[in-house]
Amino acid sequence: MVHYNMNLTLKVWRQKNAEAKGNFENYQVSEISSEMSFLEMFDVLNERLINEGKEPIAFDHDCREGICGMCSMHINGRAHGPWEGTTTCQLHMRAFKDGDTITVEPWRAGAFPVIKDLTVHRAAFDRIMEAGGFVSVNTGNAQDANNIPVAKDIADEAFAAAACIGCGACVAACKNSSAMLFVSAKVSQLALLPQGQPEKKSRVLNMLAQMDKEGFGSCTNTGACEAECPKEISLTNIARLNREFISAGFTYEK
Amino acid sequence: MKWSQFFNTSIGKKLLVGATGLFLCSFVIVHLVGNLQLLLNDNGEAFNTYADFMAHNELIQLVAWGLKVAVIIHFWVALQLTFSNRKARPVKYAVNPGNQTSSWFSRQMAIMGSILLVFLLIHLKDFWWAMHYGDLPKGNFGGKEMTDLYSTVYTAFTTQLWLVFLYVIGMIGLSFHLIHGFKSAFQTFGLNHVKYNGLINFLGVWVWGILIPIGFALIPVIIYLKH
Repeated sequence: MVHYNMNLTLKVWRQKNAEAKGNFENYQVSEISSEMSFLEMFDVLNERLINEGKEPIAFDHDCREGICGMCSMHINGRAHGPWEGTTTCQLHMRAFKDGDTITVEPWRAGAFPVIKDLTVHRAAFDRIMEAGGFVSVNTGNAQDANNIPVAKDIADEAFAAAACIGCGACVAACKNSSAMLFVSAKVSQLALLPQGQPEKKSRVLNMLAQMDKEGFGSCTNTGACEAECPKEISLTNIARLNREFISAGFTYEK
Repeated sequence: MKWSQFFNTSIGKKLLVGATGLFLCSFVIVHLVGNLQLLLNDNGEAFNTYADFMAHNELIQLVAWGLKVAVIIHFWVALQLTFSNRKARPVKYAVNPGNQTSSWFSRQMAIMGSILLVFLLIHLKDFWWAMHYGDLPKGNFGGKEMTDLYSTVYTAFTTQLWLVFLYVIGMIGLSFHLIHGFKSAFQTFGLNHVKYNGLINFLGVWVWGILIPIGFALIPVIIYLKH
């Protein structure tokens, strides 16, 4: 890949706190390397803002390796930017050209209130997990291989669902701010495996009830979540969530 | 979870919308096959006999009232979902992805459904209401005295060009609604399987989404052109 530098115009959402009315501010950044990550470009800008005595732009980040699920920018209308299967921290500036204007917004959802600038509060996901996204008993040490028989393709499917990092891109990408892809991944990773079976009915009912309570929208099967998910969680998980929910709703006694 | 709670969850409501939607999909096929008899050159004998049977058979009438209940549930629950979905994003994005991440059809369900509803109300008023409660001409078809719905339909479409246009627009609404709606209902029921997705997609897009709406739209157009 040929290295190049670029000058960009950034249109960034600035909001003092949850109550404040935010607005877009324009920033010019120059000599940005095509090999920088998107967040490194923000680091450069923030360093300049600090040197100028201005308030730096607040944004979430942690591992910067694409696995922690903290980064959360809506870039030019796309959750985590234009690349598929990529978190914002793994988005590189070679995705852009010299002279581009880039609009950066926080995740937009009533259930994800803005804390400051580009940082949103995703505790709604934690409360959904607390409602049932776990196995209640201590499962002890790792079992010997094949002690509990699990077919390879099922194990792979469960693993693919467990790849969800809970970043909230599915909510951000959905026109209804629906959390169905997240909830479906968290239900599926347990519903597919033997350890998840004893609590499968109460789990799905409680997690979905909590999802509705948090004010996320409902799913209209547009597929935007799957298109934007940095971990490429499949829509088949949403179908599984629907199946689990319907069968639990029709048969669970409580 | 009680039934009342179950059908008040987002998935429970979607189930109602999907189930009533597929029921209505089964209806449009029967309706189209019956209505194509309007294009036979028999001065309405086959169509009127069919219409008379449909209007007087008790089982058919029961299903017909079921259809109206289905339309009301489908509309009312979908409206609730649409409003709660809008409310879930109080601050909108300045930049939207458009067709990059989802199909245009999948985002227009509420608008296409609204077009369909307006069409349906006018359609029911003109023909269903007129057939059951109006004062339509009678005729003798196949040795039996019955309502001449055939000539009512012909009069309507040959004298009112705007009605022909309304029907074409209504069927464009139906087409765009079903291109996404048919397969979406299966996903809502959890029926997503690599062995059947191709068939469901094909039926939804080509049969219900394109073929059936074109079949419906052709009826008023051909009637208008014939005269």
